[in-house]
Amino acid sequence: MEDRPSDIGALVRGIRTAVSPFRSTLRDLHARYSALADGRVADYIPELATADPAWFGVAVAGASDGQMFEAGACEQEFTIQSISKPFVFGLALEDHGREAVSQRVGVEPTGDAFNSIIKLDEGSHRPHNPMVNAGAIATAALIKGVTQVERLNRVLDMFGRYIGRRPKVDVAVFASERQTGHRNRAIGHLLLNFGMLPSHVEEVLDLYFQQCSILVTARDLAMMAATLANGGVNPVTGVRALQSEYVQDLLSVMYTCGMYDSAGQWAYEVGLPAKSGVSGGVITVVPGRMGVAVFSPPLDSHGNSVRGVAVCRDLSQRFGLHCFSSAPAPAAAQLPWPLPTPMAKSTGSA
Amino acid sequence: MTRIVSIHSYRGGTGKSNLAANLATSLARAGKRVGVIDTDIQSPGIHVLFGLPPDQISRTLNDFLWGNCQMTAAAYDRTAVIGPCTGSVHLVPSSIKAGDIARIVKHGFDVALLNDGFQQLSQALGLDFLLVDTHPGVNEETLLSIAVSDTLLLVVRPDRQDFEGTAVTVDLARQLDVQDANIVLNKVLPGMDRSVLQARAEAAFDLPVLAILPLCEGLLSLGSEGIFGLTSPDDPYAVGVSAVADRLMR
Repeated sequence: MEDRPSDIGALVRGIRTAVSPFRSTLRDLHARYSALADGRVADYIPELATADPAWFGVAVAGASDGQMFEAGACEQEFTIQSISKPFVFGLALEDHGREAVSQRVGVEPTGDAFNSIIKLDEGSHRPHNPMVNAGAIATAALIKGVTQVERLNRVLDMFGRYIGRRPKVDVAVFASERQTGHRNRAIGHLLLNFGMLPSHVEEVLDLYFQQCSILVTARDLAMMAATLANGGVNPVTGVRALQSEYVQDLLSVMYTCGMYDSAGQWAYEVGLPAKSGVSGGVITVVPGRMGVAVFSPPLDSHGNSVRGVAVCRDLSQRFGLHCFSSAPAPAAAQLPWPLPTPMAKSTGSA
Repeated sequence: MTRIVSIHSYRGGTGKSNLAANLATSLARAGKRVGVIDTDIQSPGIHVLFGLPPDQISRTLNDFLWGNCQMTAAAYDRTAVIGPCTGSVHLVPSSIKAGDIARIVKHGFDVALLNDGFQQLSQALGLDFLLVDTHPGVNEETLLSIAVSDTLLLVVRPDRQDFEGTAVTVDLARQLDVQDANIVLNKVLPGMDRSVLQARAEAAFDLPVLAILPLCEGLLSLGSEGIFGLTSPDDPYAVGVSAVADRLMR
């Protein structure tokens, strides 16, 4: 008789989740921050403005086992927006290697808002980092593929390896981004002027708008973050989404540049690699332990989800997750995934 | 702290409910506060042993799972049934209404709620023990009950089908890290060699055999009209169950 270890694993994971005390911790956290009604839903394209400010989901996935904890609207779909940026950066690194990518985009935080247009490195004309729009457009230009369709498919396949299912692009959001993306188009042409983009700049911009319009849920994002926390391997499917040598590249730029112009405050308070998007998503990676995703559309003045920031800060402080934390947190033992000893390192091969 | 004891068997008719009811009686008579919950939502029945007629049941486990009430509102104090004792027995029945069973079968329920219910009941009633009478076979609520148990009692008859199926449950229980899993051999016929049976079970499951209970004619002829140990405390079946209760209290 043939057995189905993956099905047994899924069943056992579900039961473990149901009986874990962390479930109620997450539920309490969700209830507490549901009351937090600050912030405004992004409206720079009409499609984003239709988001319900009450949508609020928190999902946490284990790096070692993919065990998923959810509270609230974790199945609500939304466009990934800027959270796509580190992942496409990872694909560019796989396509060209660190050296070649660093010719096109730097890793220096700017302290600027997400849509800052003008700052390019003076000598090299490189955008400062892959998390600002200019850097993300330069990164999208690096994705290999003979045709536009092939490049898009490679990006979707890549996200599929992180999520465990291949995502789709929201056509209406893509069309809207494309129609109203004058600032990004200007960035593209400025980069072209400096010789940092190939001549098919419109195709590059399309790919960038498409990657931002990929539909995900909080659950998907938690699995993507858990995959990074697991050294680049999706903990449920066992599929490698990113060559292990580049995991540190993604986490480094997320740590220093992931939260727009509040990256410093975030690094200080939360102390974890993270990335937010204007649709209200935030992902946080706790290397070796777990991936966290929060979805809540109202944004603060930096463009980060208000509830997303609050939940991640609370989780980090409650469980002592700050990467430089040396004081033990009282609640640390409640986490289903203990601190790996010695420090977990991904040794898997590509 | 409440000790959660799940009583499970791979197949039906192994004597789970009778074991649960008789164990609850022994524990309550020893002064313990005991909860009994019927998680066999598809085919409930233990309320009969505790003399709880359907017309006296208002709230059930189903109501809790559908968010209609707190778990404690579905708990019935059945201490009077077992006579004067220093402990108590609190029963949470499942609904015996066809429509309620159909709704569960058709739509299922969030199995995680069951765990919330166990915790709620244990705390609100200050239970020493919570006995969980499960649905036979493998399903989500059974696995959840197994996963939260401090002690698991797997009821097995000396029967090849029971042995083969129980091996599946044991495998899953291991994956759920159950610490104290035990085999209870039940309905053992007179003339069967107990030591051979015990050795066979231990070899098959790699688990301790906690008790070997005889096929009990008195229990059969009682026909679920009551709790056998109350009327025949000296019968080998009742003595065997008491020994299991003693082991749980150690």
